[in-house]
Amino acid sequence: MAAISQGTGSKFFFEGESGRNTRGLLRLIILVTIAAAAVASRLFSVIRFESIIHEFDPWFNFRATKYLVNNGFYNFWDWFDDRTWHPLGRVTGGTLYPGLMVTSGIIYHVLRLLSMPIDIRNICVLLAPAFSGLTAFATYLLTSEMTTSPSAGLLAAAFMGITPGYISRSVAGSYDNEAIAIFLLVFTFYLWIKAVKEGSIMWAGFCALFYGYMVSAWGGYVFITNLLPLHAFVLICMGRFSPRLYVSYTTWYALGTLASMQVPFVGFLPVRSSDHMAALGVFGLLQLVGFTEWVRTQLPSKQFQTLLRGLVLVVFAAAFGFLVLLTVSGTIAPWSGRFYSLWDTAYAKVHIPIIASVSEHQPTAWPAFFFDLNMLIWLFPAGVYMCFRTLKDEHVFIVIYSVLASYFAGVMVRLMLTLTPIVCVAAAMALSNILDIFLVAEQPVEGAQPQANGNPRANGPTTATEKLASAIPDTLRSTKTPVVGIYSYLSKSAMTGAFTAYLLLFVLHCTWVTSNAYSSPSVVLASRLPDGSQHIIDDYREAYYWLRQNTHQTAKVMSWWDYGYQIGGMADRPTLVDNNTWNNTHIATVGKAMSSREEVSYPIMRQHEVDYVLIVFGGLLGYSGDDINKFLWMVRIAEGIWPDEVKERDFFTARGEYRVDEEATPTMKNSLMYKMSYYNYNALFPAGQAQDRVRGAKLPAQGPELSTLEEAFTSENWIIRIYKVKDLDNLGRSHQEAGAFEKGNKRKKSGKRRGARVLRVD
Amino acid sequence: MRLIQWASLGLISLVAADSNLTLESRNILPSTFKPPQHFQNVNLVRNINLEKNYVRETVNVVIENVGKEAQSEYFLPFEPGTIARIGGLEARDKKDPEKGGFVAEVAVTDEQSSTQFYKITLPTPLQPKGQLTLSISYWTLASLNPLPAQIGQTDKQYVLYTFSAYAPSAYLTQKQKTKLKLPTTDVPDAVTLPKSLNTEGKEDPQKQGTSFTYGPYSEIEAGALQEVSVRYEFTKPLTHSKLLERDVEVSHWGGNVAFEERHWLTNRAASLKNHFSRVAYQQSAYYNPPMAALKELRFPLAIGSEDPYFIDDIGNVSTSRFRTNMREANLELKPRYPVFGGWNYSFRVGWNGDLSGYVRRLKTGSDGFVLKVPFLDGPKQVEGIEYERVVTRVILPEGAINVHFETTIPLISNTTSLHRTFMDTLGRTTLELTAINVVDELRDRELVVMYDYPFSARFRKPLTIFGGILLVFVVSWVVGNLDVSIGSKVKAA
Amino acid sequence: MAPKNRQSTPQQPPKLPTTTASQTPSKSQSKPSTSSSSSVRNTQDARQIAIGVWNNYIDATPQRVKLLDAFMVFLMAVGLLQFVYCVIAGNYPFNAFLSGFSATVGQFVLTASLRMQTNAENKAEFERISHERAFADYVFGSMILHFFCVNFIN
Repeated sequence: MAAISQGTGSKFFFEGESGRNTRGLLRLIILVTIAAAAVASRLFSVIRFESIIHEFDPWFNFRATKYLVNNGFYNFWDWFDDRTWHPLGRVTGGTLYPGLMVTSGIIYHVLRLLSMPIDIRNICVLLAPAFSGLTAFATYLLTSEMTTSPSAGLLAAAFMGITPGYISRSVAGSYDNEAIAIFLLVFTFYLWIKAVKEGSIMWAGFCALFYGYMVSAWGGYVFITNLLPLHAFVLICMGRFSPRLYVSYTTWYALGTLASMQVPFVGFLPVRSSDHMAALGVFGLLQLVGFTEWVRTQLPSKQFQTLLRGLVLVVFAAAFGFLVLLTVSGTIAPWSGRFYSLWDTAYAKVHIPIIASVSEHQPTAWPAFFFDLNMLIWLFPAGVYMCFRTLKDEHVFIVIYSVLASYFAGVMVRLMLTLTPIVCVAAAMALSNILDIFLVAEQPVEGAQPQANGNPRANGPTTATEKLASAIPDTLRSTKTPVVGIYSYLSKSAMTGAFTAYLLLFVLHCTWVTSNAYSSPSVVLASRLPDGSQHIIDDYREAYYWLRQNTHQTAKVMSWWDYGYQIGGMADRPTLVDNNTWNNTHIATVGKAMSSREEVSYPIMRQHEVDYVLIVFGGLLGYSGDDINKFLWMVRIAEGIWPDEVKERDFFTARGEYRVDEEATPTMKNSLMYKMSYYNYNALFPAGQAQDRVRGAKLPAQGPELSTLEEAFTSENWIIRIYKVKDLDNLGRSHQEAGAFEKGNKRKKSGKRRGARVLRVD
Repeated sequence: MRLIQWASLGLISLVAADSNLTLESRNILPSTFKPPQHFQNVNLVRNINLEKNYVRETVNVVIENVGKEAQSEYFLPFEPGTIARIGGLEARDKKDPEKGGFVAEVAVTDEQSSTQFYKITLPTPLQPKGQLTLSISYWTLASLNPLPAQIGQTDKQYVLYTFSAYAPSAYLTQKQKTKLKLPTTDVPDAVTLPKSLNTEGKEDPQKQGTSFTYGPYSEIEAGALQEVSVRYEFTKPLTHSKLLERDVEVSHWGGNVAFEERHWLTNRAASLKNHFSRVAYQQSAYYNPPMAALKELRFPLAIGSEDPYFIDDIGNVSTSRFRTNMREANLELKPRYPVFGGWNYSFRVGWNGDLSGYVRRLKTGSDGFVLKVPFLDGPKQVEGIEYERVVTRVILPEGAINVHFETTIPLISNTTSLHRTFMDTLGRTTLELTAINVVDELRDRELVVMYDYPFSARFRKPLTIFGGILLVFVVSWVVGNLDVSIGSKVKAA
Repeated sequence: MAPKNRQSTPQQPPKLPTTTASQTPSKSQSKPSTSSSSSVRNTQDARQIAIGVWNNYIDATPQRVKLLDAFMVFLMAVGLLQFVYCVIAGNYPFNAFLSGFSATVGQFVLTASLRMQTNAENKAEFERISHERAFADYVFGSMILHFFCVNFIN
C-alpha cells in the first residue's frame, strides 16, 4: 500500500480518500471472485453426478442434521439413538460435535424465514463449498496481518480457494466436520494474531468465541488448543513477553476453555485430559511472568530479576511434576490413543488396530504433498524463511505452525488439511515478495493482484507495470540489493513469465486433481463405456433402497462398520456398528462373526438379533474396496479381543499368502465372510471358470454353501450382497442337519438348472 | 426432511386405505335398509374384463318400474368390503349415451358388515311400466389374488378371481348372464356350476377361446349370490399404487408448468418362494420371459415436455431414459431393483412443460386464464396400474383468485389453500383435489382450472425481490457508515 | 494458583500490616533455596525488597488502579475459598465448581488485562486502545464469560 501511495504516475483513483475506496472496492471484487472460483471448483461432483452426500461420515452428519431440523434443538441435544449400535444404542447428542449440524440447521431456518425453503439436503451438500469461500476470505485476513503487501493476502486467498489439499475435504457433498472447521481454524488464528498484535480483550474474546465454535465443530480443535499456548510459550522464552500477550492469551484461555466446555462431548476434558494441559500450564506461567514483570517495573533491581527468574523456573518445574503426578494417579486422563499414534506411527498398528484400519490415519506418502499442494510446497519454505527475516510476534506463529503442521501432515494423511492453510499463507508471502520485487515501481501491487488471483492469461497489467517500472529505475535501485540484472527487461519478463506459467500450471493441476481425484461421491461409482460415455454404477443405493423399502422398519442389519452410517442414512435401518468407532468390543464382535465358522457366527448373530447381513463384494466388477480386502482388519480387531478364537495366522497360507482360491486355508474358506462373498458366485460362470477380478484368482470349482443364512438380495453388479439370517429350524434341528436333509431336493434342482444352460448354449 | 415427509405420507396412505370407506359415505342409511322393490331387471348382461390387473365390469341392464309411482332411485348392491375398492362407477342410458352420466353416489349403511349400495339417480323419474336400459360400468381394485401366493422367481403366476355368477342386484332379475374376458387360455381352474341352474341346461360355464360365459339364468331373487371363481395365468405385475401425489405448478413469469408426481407403488403379485436370486435373474434376462416383477415404467408425456427427473428418497435414479422428438416424449424408468411381489417402490418423477401449451387467456376479461392439464399422468403399462388414492394439487401463481375447476373424474374432496414457497409473501393459491380408486385408463381425463390473475398480483414478485435487494443494500450502507470504534469517539471528544 | 498467592502478598497489608512481615519471610525463604546462594543477607534483602515494593506501590499507583487491585484480591480470595472447599468437601457437582472457579479466574485475568491496558506505562504497547475502549472490551469479555458460566452451571 505504501508503494501505491508513493506512486507518481498513478491516476486519481489510486490516491487519497477516493483511492482508498477504489482499492477497497477492487479488493472486495477480487475476493468475491476468488470465493466464487472456490465454490465453483467444488461443484464438479454435483455436475458430474448429482446433489448427493458423499462417502461415509457425511451420511451420519446428514442424518443428524435432518433429526435436528425435524425435532428441534433440545431434542437433538438429548437425542438417544436406538437405531445404531444395536442393542446398546448411542447417546448421539452427547457424543458428537454439533457445530456442523447446528450451522446448517440455522442456515435452513434463516432461509425458510426469507421464504426460500431450500431442501436440507441441498444445504448440506453445498455447505462445504460455501464455507470454502469464507475460508479464502479468512486466509486473506490472516495473511494481511503478516505482511504489508496487500497482494500476498489476495494470493493466499486464491491459493486457499483452489488448492487440492483443502478441496479434498470440501467438495460439494462432503458434508463433514472439516467443511466448516478449516474456516474456523483459519479465522481463529486470524483473530488470535489480531489479539496478540493489538492486545485487545475484544479480539481475544472473539478469538475465544470462534475457538468455542471450532470446538463444537471438529475434534481437531486440539491443534489450536496446543498451538496457541506453544506460540505464547515460545514468545516468553524468546523474552518477548508483553502485556499484549498476557491480555490476549489469558482472555482467550479463560473464555475459550469455558466455551469449549459447553459442548457436551468435550465436557470436562479441558481440565481433565493431558491434551489440554499445555494450555493450562502456559496460562499459569503467564500469570507468573506477568506478576514478575509487574514487580520488576516496581523495583528494577538486577539481582532481584535473577532471583525471580529462578523462582519462575522452579514453579514451572513443580507444576509440571504436579501434572505428571496427577496423570499417573489418574485424575487427569492420559493422552488419547490417536495422539500417541501421532508420535509413533507404529503405535496404532500394534495397540489400536481400529485406528490403523482407517486409511486416512495412515502416514502420508511423499507424492501426496505434491499432489495436494503442487507448487506451493516449494514456495512454502521460502515463505517461512521470510518470516524468520522479519521475526515479529505473528511471524513466530507462522514458523511454529508450519513446523508442527508439516510434521503432523507427514504422520497422518488427513492432517494434510491443517497444513494447507499455512502453506498457502507462506507461499503467498513468498510469491508476492517475488512479484513485488520484480514488478514494483509506482503501482505494481495493484498490477500484481489481478494477475495473481484471477490467474489468468491477462498479461496486460504485467507489461504495463513493467513499463512504469522502467521509467523510474532510481527508486528501485535503492530498494533492494544492487544487482543490475534484476532491473533489466529480460530478467523481469523472464521471472514474471515463469511465475505466470507456474500459476497457470497450478490452476490446471488443481482443476485436474479436483475433477479426477476428489469429486467422486464413492456412493455412486462411475465407469466409462467403450464409446466414452459415462456409465453409473449405483449398486450401493440399489441395495440400500431395497432394504429401506422391503424390510421391516426395525430389521437389524449387520455389516462391517464402514457401511454403518450409510445404512443408517440411506436404508434407514438399525445397525450393529458404524463409523463412530467408540466401542471396540462391539466392532470386534462383528469381526468375529464375520471371520468365524457358521456354527460360531450363528449364535452371535442370534444374540444380537441380526436380521440381515450386508457385505460388499467387488469380485465381479473388479471393485477393490470390498470386504474381502478389508477382511484382515476384521480378523485383527477380533483377535484383539478373542486371541484364542480368531487368529490372523490361520487366514494365511503356509507360505504367508492371503489367498481366496483353491489354496486358501480351511479357516478362510469356512469363514462367514468368505462364504457370503462367493456364495452362488460360480453359477455365473461356466463350470470351474469362476474368477475373482479383484484378486485375480480362480475360485474353487465347488462354491461355498451356507446353512444358517440365505441370500436375500444381490445388487446388479454384485457389489452389495444381503443375506437373511434364518430363524431357528421348526423341528429343532441345527441348520446343518436340515440342509443335509434337503440335499436331495437341491440336487435335482441344480441338475435342472444345468440343463437349461446347455439349452441356451445350443 | 424427505424422510419425515415420506413417513408422514406413508401414514396418510395407511389412513387412506380405511378412509376410502368413510370419506365417501355421504349418504348414511340405517343398517336395516332394504331397497324398495319397485324395480325389476328385465334383462341383464354383465361383462367382466380380466385382461388388466384390475377388474372392469360393465353391466347392461334393462330396468322396468313395477311400482305404482314414478321412481328415480336405483340401488346397486356391493358385498361388504368391496365398496371401498370400487372406482369410476358410471351409469348412463345405453340408448342415449350422449346425454352423459347419471348421478351415482355411495349410500352405505352405517354397519360395515352388511351390504352396501351405490345409489343411481335417474335424471327423469321412470314412469310405471316404463323401461330403461342402464349401462353401468366400474372398476374393482385389488381383486385379483395370486394363487399360489408364493412362486419361484421365474415361475408363471396364476391369479384367482372370485365373484358371483349371479350379478348382484337389489331387485328381481328375470334373465341374466355373465361374460368373462380373460387374457389367456391357460385357465387351470374355473368353478363349474350344475347344469340344472342354467336356463338352457348347457354346460356352465361355456368356454370360447379366452372368454367364459356363465348363464343365462332366469328368475334370480334380489340379493341372490352364487360364488364362483376362475384361476388363470397372469404372469404380470399387479402394480398397485397406494398413493399418488401430483403437483402442477403454474408459473406465469417463468412461462412454465412444472409437473411432479410422487408414487408409492407396491406389487401385489405372488411373493418369492425363496429369496431373490441375482444369478437366476441375470440368466433369465437373456430370454426376457414374462415375470411378475415390475421392471419398467413408461410415461408417455405430452409432446414438448422437457427436463425430466426421476429421483427417490436417496437421490437420483440413473436408470431412466427420456426419448423426445416431434411426435412423442416418452419417459422410460427402471426402478432401482425389479419390484417383485410384496415389494415396494416409491419414487418421484417430474418434468416441465411450456406454459402456452396448457394455459389460455380467456377472451372475456384480460385477467382471466384457463389451465387444462391431465388429471393424472402416471405410467402407462400394458397390464395396467391401479391407484388407491390420487391427490392432485394445482399450484397457481401467487395472487390468483376466483378459482374454479371442472373434471370428469369422480372426486371425493377439493380444497383451496395457500402454499408458501420460494420468495412468496402471501403464498400461492393452491387447489387440492382428491380422487380414490382410479386406474390408468383415466390418464387422458382432463382437469380444467379457471382463475383470475390480476395485473397487480403479477408484479408482486419482482417488487418483492427488488425490495429485498434494496433492503440489503441499505442495511449494508448503514452498517458500513456506522462508526462503532470507541477510541475515535474519544479522540473527537 | 501460585501466581495469585504471590500477588496477594503486597496487597494484603492495608488491613494487617503485621502479616506482611510474617508472610514475606516465607516467600523469601523459598527464594534463596532456588537460587542456591542462600544466605541471611538474602532474607534481609527480600524483606527490604518487599517493603520497597509496597512503598513504591502505595506511592505510585493511582486510586483507580488500586480499586482494580482490591477487586482482584477479592476475586482471588473467592477463588481460593472455592478451591479449598473443593479439596475438603469434594467436587461433586463438578460443573458447578468449575464454572464458579473459572468465573473468578476469568474475571481476575480480565481485570488484570484491564489494569494493564489502562496502565500509563504500557501506553506504547496499546497504541490503539483508549481507556474507554479498554473498559468496553472489559465489559464485553465479562459478558461472554458470565454467559458461559451461567450456561455451564446448570
